[in-house]
Amino acid sequence: MPSVCFYFQVHQPYRLRKLQPFAEGASDPFCRESNAGVLWKVAAKCYLPANQRLLQLIHRYEGRFRVAFSLSGVAIQQMEEYATEVLDSFKCLAETGCVEFLAETYYHSLSSLRDPVEFRSQVALHTDAIQRHFGQTPRVFRNTELIYDDRIGELVADMGYRAVLAEGADDVLAGRSPNFLYRHPARELTILAKNYRLSDDIAFRFSDRGWKEHPLTTNKFARWLHTHSGSAELINLFMDYETFGEHQWEESGIFEFLDALPHDVLSARDWRFQLPSEVVRDLPARDALSYGRTTSWADQERDITAWLGNRMQQEAFHALHELGPRLRERNNPAALALWRKLSTSDHFYYMCTKWFADGDVHAYFSPYEGPYDAFINYMNALDDVRERILGDLPAQENA
Amino acid sequence: MNVLMLGWEYPPHISGGLGTACEGLSRALAGEGVNVTFIVPRAFGDEDARHMRLLTPDSVVATTRRIEQVGVRQVREPVEVIEVNSVLRPYQTPEQYLQARQEFEEREEPVSHVMEALEHGSSSVSRTGAHYGGDLFSEVRRFATLTTSLARRLDFDVIHAHDWMTYPAALQIRNTTGRPLVVHVHSLEFDRSGEHVNQDIHRIEGAGIRGADRVIAVSHYTKGVIVRQHGVDPDKIKVVHNGVTRAEAAQRYHLQAEDDRPIVLFLGRITYQKGPEFFVRAAAKVLTRTKQVRFVMAGSGDMLEHVKHMVRELKIEQWFEFPGFVRGAELEKWFSLAECFVMPSRSEPFGITPLEALACDTPVIVSRQSGVSEVLRHALKADYWDVDRIAQQMLAVIRHDSLCADMLEMSSRELLRLHWRAAAEKTRQVYQQAVAG
Repeated sequence: MPSVCFYFQVHQPYRLRKLQPFAEGASDPFCRESNAGVLWKVAAKCYLPANQRLLQLIHRYEGRFRVAFSLSGVAIQQMEEYATEVLDSFKCLAETGCVEFLAETYYHSLSSLRDPVEFRSQVALHTDAIQRHFGQTPRVFRNTELIYDDRIGELVADMGYRAVLAEGADDVLAGRSPNFLYRHPARELTILAKNYRLSDDIAFRFSDRGWKEHPLTTNKFARWLHTHSGSAELINLFMDYETFGEHQWEESGIFEFLDALPHDVLSARDWRFQLPSEVVRDLPARDALSYGRTTSWADQERDITAWLGNRMQQEAFHALHELGPRLRERNNPAALALWRKLSTSDHFYYMCTKWFADGDVHAYFSPYEGPYDAFINYMNALDDVRERILGDLPAQENA
Repeated sequence: MNVLMLGWEYPPHISGGLGTACEGLSRALAGEGVNVTFIVPRAFGDEDARHMRLLTPDSVVATTRRIEQVGVRQVREPVEVIEVNSVLRPYQTPEQYLQARQEFEEREEPVSHVMEALEHGSSSVSRTGAHYGGDLFSEVRRFATLTTSLARRLDFDVIHAHDWMTYPAALQIRNTTGRPLVVHVHSLEFDRSGEHVNQDIHRIEGAGIRGADRVIAVSHYTKGVIVRQHGVDPDKIKVVHNGVTRAEAAQRYHLQAEDDRPIVLFLGRITYQKGPEFFVRAAAKVLTRTKQVRFVMAGSGDMLEHVKHMVRELKIEQWFEFPGFVRGAELEKWFSLAECFVMPSRSEPFGITPLEALACDTPVIVSRQSGVSEVLRHALKADYWDVDRIAQQMLAVIRHDSLCADMLEMSSRELLRLHWRAAAEKTRQVYQQAVAG
């Protein structure tokens, strides 16, 4: 009985304003207009129409179609602030009983890489939010951008999670198939490895006219899945939810694809859709799988260099975390929330210079002109926290 | 391909980026197999021109070889009348004649305009003293006359003229030899003078650009200005970005300044075009945040006294140094010592100094109103009037080694692509188009 396990990521960061360090007076460092604007745009193109379709599919297949989501806390919070109808549409999905919500850090941060105390706090904040809004307690964990290694596995297992989602990176699998469950080498923790080929066929290649399989029909995709009958126990299709309507435009036929896919998948005997926690309950882990390096679902390298690959990113990450103990000690919720919003991984992603290298400008979503601007603005924000909240003297040397 | 290149200056005797660009381009063209004959108003004896033939207007050139070549050419192209300025050619139909007559008049128009402008300019020379010393228009006219007669004794397929001072000569040579003309716009009167445009220079520029067969602009920015100001068909203009010659000597200057405060450097003519006052205003803002810094403004120009006055008024003179005009080794020394190079130009057709700074491993802040900002992605950019942003960028460069290191690492790869070879290759294509008509 092979299972298809869908997981969709929903995340929106609090983007910074262009800070004016020479201007007088304090103001909110986050740009309400642009954050609300992006949320409304993505809601109109993706969240609302896609949620509506998923709801119809769940009703149409009477429980046989089911999907998992991970909503970052900052995405939920912005829905509460700017677009409650979006949050309500996710609640409707939750009420069907066919949608599982996964655990992650509230701030979609990189704290697992540096600060276990902060990491646990942010996961707890997220769990609170999921319980409050969706009446569920997450049992399965997925880290920011699927960042994972053995050490993070231990951290997560020790927090009580039974399973974790990770990238099915070729070098980690070392010839093994991503289409089975695995376990952590030293902990009671099941690993669901993303099938990146099939996932990326939808997420990245769907509307690529240069791709030899274009156009991708549900019939074709279901056939690819079904060729694994007998040689796979589950296919993990993990992707950004914005795939539907935002990354792949409505005109590409992505919604029709989503609409028709369950029928074609379920047309083969024994195939079914399952949630991560159901997969973990029903299927055995076939082997221990060790992640000796830190992987993610990003780029060809499937590593963390998109966030911490250059010196600016490392300096900024270090500067952020240096402030952590001092801020937690103050125990001021507003100050802590501000600092934590600065821990969101997107701020570091904007500083990435990898794509800037060889003259080809990769289209990627950044509110900045480039990585250097992103770095300067971010460091200004940290200066602001230091001066306004921690009361450090303005960084004026030898006045 | 033989090219007759007309320039106004040549290293090491230069007043700005024009001479440097001519050297880089001519060297790379030679590497592409183009024979370059370069005429410059004066030679001083220490120019390194081993890759080409460097002449001055009063050069004596051997004519024996030339006569043979003219003979060959006349056999090859019997209808080409070089010496006589006439449209009458054998075997023409009336229609062909009329068309030729029209072309001739279109071609003539710029020359007469140029001469008029030169006349007028010479008689009102007092107004032009700002950027060029002496009776510039007379010099331009002398250059045109002498160079035109020299060109009769030279053999070339295409004329390539750098900036307006050489356009009168180039247009006359085009007229007398029938060879196609490529004008290369490194800067425009508009860039140099903003609202106080010298109309005579502006007219000469326009005549040169309209009279040329092809135009090379050093940036998309400049191409835009040319199209707007001179109403030229954009398809006639090709953008060829300047390259940079990596200065090997720069390695020698990993010296430590006697004082370890980081240097923020302005280097260039201290004139309206270069926006020196924005540098000073940004510096004043930086000083509200740190005093551990030195601001060096290297260069001379008609705004120097004004700028010094500003610095005194702001009471920040103890952080400023004015070493005057620098070149050669001195220039590389400042680039290498500096923590950050700033070019806040109001209007900069290209702007080669940021590339020189990067070649010396110094990160740069450039105004968006510059051609060089089109080719540099690993630089900090600001509108020249955005003093707050420039100050933020200066502070960030001073404070964050990671920012400098990442920018320099990325730009060192970028500089490899900005080699003069790429510029020469594009220039050669322009020659071919010009020759093909």
